[in-house]
Amino acid sequence: MDDHVEASPTKAFRRSKDEKKLFRKQIKSSHILLKHEGIHTTTKPTKHLVVANGGLGNGVSREHLSATLTGIGELETLVMPPHKPYAFVTYRSEESAQKAHIDLNGLKIQCGEDIVTLYFSFVESVKSMEEETVPLPEGLTIVEDFVSLEEEALLLTSIEWPSICDQDTAQKTLKHRKVKHYGYEFRYDNNNVDKDKPLPTGLPGECTPVLERCLKNGYVSKMPDQLTVNQYESGQGIPPHVDTHSAFEDTIMSLSLGAQTVMEFRHPDGRLVAVVLPTRSLLVMKGESRYLWTHGITPRKFDMIPAADSECPILTVSNAVTQSNLTLSKRETRTSFTFRKIRHGPCCCAFPSACDSQGAHSAPKPSQPAPPSLPGCHSDAARLEEQYVHQVYDAIATHFSSTRHSPWPRVCDFLCSLPPGSVLADVGCGNGKYLGVNPQVVAMGCDRSSALVSICAERGFQVFVSDALSVPLRSASCDACISIAVIHHFSTEERRLEAIKELVRLLKPGGRALIYVWAFEQEFNKQKSKYLKDTNKNHRPAESGESSVQANKSLEEDNEGERHMSSYKGTQGKLSVHTNRTAFNTQDLLVPWHLKDGKRGVKGKENIKETPHHQETESITSANAHSDVSRRSELQDRSKEIVTSVKYDQNKSESSSAPVFHRYYHVFQQGELEHMCVQVPGVKVKSSYHDQGNWCVILEKD
Amino acid sequence: MKLLTHNMLTSHVKGVIKGYPLLIKATEVKVNEVEFNPQFVSRMVPKLEWTALIQAAEELGHRQDLPDELIPDYDGNEEFLKKVHRTLLEVEVMEGCLKCPESGREFPISRGIPNMLLNEDEV
Repeated sequence: MDDHVEASPTKAFRRSKDEKKLFRKQIKSSHILLKHEGIHTTTKPTKHLVVANGGLGNGVSREHLSATLTGIGELETLVMPPHKPYAFVTYRSEESAQKAHIDLNGLKIQCGEDIVTLYFSFVESVKSMEEETVPLPEGLTIVEDFVSLEEEALLLTSIEWPSICDQDTAQKTLKHRKVKHYGYEFRYDNNNVDKDKPLPTGLPGECTPVLERCLKNGYVSKMPDQLTVNQYESGQGIPPHVDTHSAFEDTIMSLSLGAQTVMEFRHPDGRLVAVVLPTRSLLVMKGESRYLWTHGITPRKFDMIPAADSECPILTVSNAVTQSNLTLSKRETRTSFTFRKIRHGPCCCAFPSACDSQGAHSAPKPSQPAPPSLPGCHSDAARLEEQYVHQVYDAIATHFSSTRHSPWPRVCDFLCSLPPGSVLADVGCGNGKYLGVNPQVVAMGCDRSSALVSICAERGFQVFVSDALSVPLRSASCDACISIAVIHHFSTEERRLEAIKELVRLLKPGGRALIYVWAFEQEFNKQKSKYLKDTNKNHRPAESGESSVQANKSLEEDNEGERHMSSYKGTQGKLSVHTNRTAFNTQDLLVPWHLKDGKRGVKGKENIKETPHHQETESITSANAHSDVSRRSELQDRSKEIVTSVKYDQNKSESSSAPVFHRYYHVFQQGELEHMCVQVPGVKVKSSYHDQGNWCVILEKD
Repeated sequence: MKLLTHNMLTSHVKGVIKGYPLLIKATEVKVNEVEFNPQFVSRMVPKLEWTALIQAAEELGHRQDLPDELIPDYDGNEEFLKKVHRTLLEVEVMEGCLKCPESGREFPISRGIPNMLLNEDEV
């Protein structure tokens, strides 16, 4: 434990060795902090210290760390940036800081079931972060202490759960939250209610006083006639969804009993608001928050919530995030009572895009969506691409961007061969990886994903949002165009051809286009592409035994995770799901993307309880800076994402599920791309080759 | 969105014949300092639609007395190129919209990014 124990002469030699070891580890942690987090440590003593491994990202709570640090001296501030594997402490006096540096360096602390070793280094100063308040979604209200402790107990005992003796139910309780309906049965197969078949018993009598209170306070004008009770154990959640418009009227109320939780609201434009639902609080959703925002509870065992000592009561996590006033809160069993009024007649809300009565497709189902079939016409194709390309990229943008950091050499060759002053269009520019390769050209990028385009803009590139089938640039305005890993996302041959024609339209006479698409033949000339190569290439052993500040593996290009989804073959004409990192066996398929956690190679049944789950936060500039976390901690997803087409992975090797997204691809066979280009008038194929699992073509306009 | 980019952008609404140049309605304009490279600017000039550039610069109030027509001996005229440089690369529309001159359709610009996506019925 304490490495600076007073030693007898016989122990002197060992102590000095231990001291050297500690010193080495401390230096190592300093290097990692600098390399991956940009934190400069100094040997010169100051009031400020960085505590490596003492962060929220390691599962260390504010209370615990604070208690440990105040033992040395009075604290001025304690800053714990969310998701980070470090914290900053400022002592009142430099002496206290120095004492902490000596006494606490190498201290091992218990963190749940793990032991974390803290390393202390001085820093010049501690940067503060900007304020940013995030409002609650429109129409959302949280009423705290809506029921008393007695009422809560009464309500909880009023539910008669089915007995757990039969195998089926036992199996189900392990994976899913428990659900019971009153008034009307809610059906999960069509996300609607059987309005003609009310359940024999209405709502439990115990609910009456609560409901009357709701009426009296004006939260609703009509008495609800449907109740769904959900019980969530730690690690359980519910995927994001909008309550079916046609099934229920506007206001929906949900009472949280037994424990608090964090519910995430997502707007179609990408905004995410994480809201704390305290125990015994009433959540009232109406208007936009009921009809347009999705709400969900991420299956987790810990939430990050505002610390108790915050100055003002903050209900949204985002508000607290920027002040680092966060702490970890362990989930307990929470039971929600959701009261709704059945709607008779169609919904005529102001949000048709999410309304099943007004033509929108029904909300994403919590269960697996049926495998799509290949589209026959443009509008079907557009719909398929919307669900399996556009929504996915918007949802995974930050993670995706972090895996796309190395420009491919042969693409760079093309770019660098362009004469200075050339006008270049990168159609489907993604995270802008290629826009800066040749600074002598005028590069403009466009992409269908606003989330990815925003990333480009933040990097200082000239970009706009548009579709590759209709690029808003003048004809013959470009000296060169590139389309790297784009056209394979179009789901019909006509659309793929249209995309090529559009590139050609943009070219000036004599201009060149470079097109890369994923190849069906991943192995070419007996060389396996990186995609197929050793799946464990990314897994590097921990650099120091105890340190949780690990230099994480740089994610390889096209690496979509090592876990294999059990692929299923749909019926003829249906798209099948591909197993990552294996050879393709069909040309039209869905490729899984696992929104990533930091631990790899965690497989097998023995990890059922212990498997960590967190979603990476990305810093846009340092794509490689990921921090590993102590096994028990789970962190909140901070990326602003739309989560649609999400299927929670029911893989047995994890107790909590990782969201899996499916992207549509049409992988090209040898010669297919070239053959298509030949069909386009006014261009010649100058070069055709295979590069790292892609078929590539260079076209020149006549 | 810089004016260099604007010079290349056009309205692609279905059926529109004269969708260029897009009118700019800016609510927030930024002026950045960008390193001046006279050679680079000189190379850009022939690729521009000069009238469209002047019109756009005028709309934003950054015309800087650039001429209506491109002067023939601009190459080597550093003073002139500097003005062009500023107009093309230093002036940036951060918020506002681009408007199709024929259909009136507006494309929003947010945080410097124009959203040129068309609806299904406009394609």
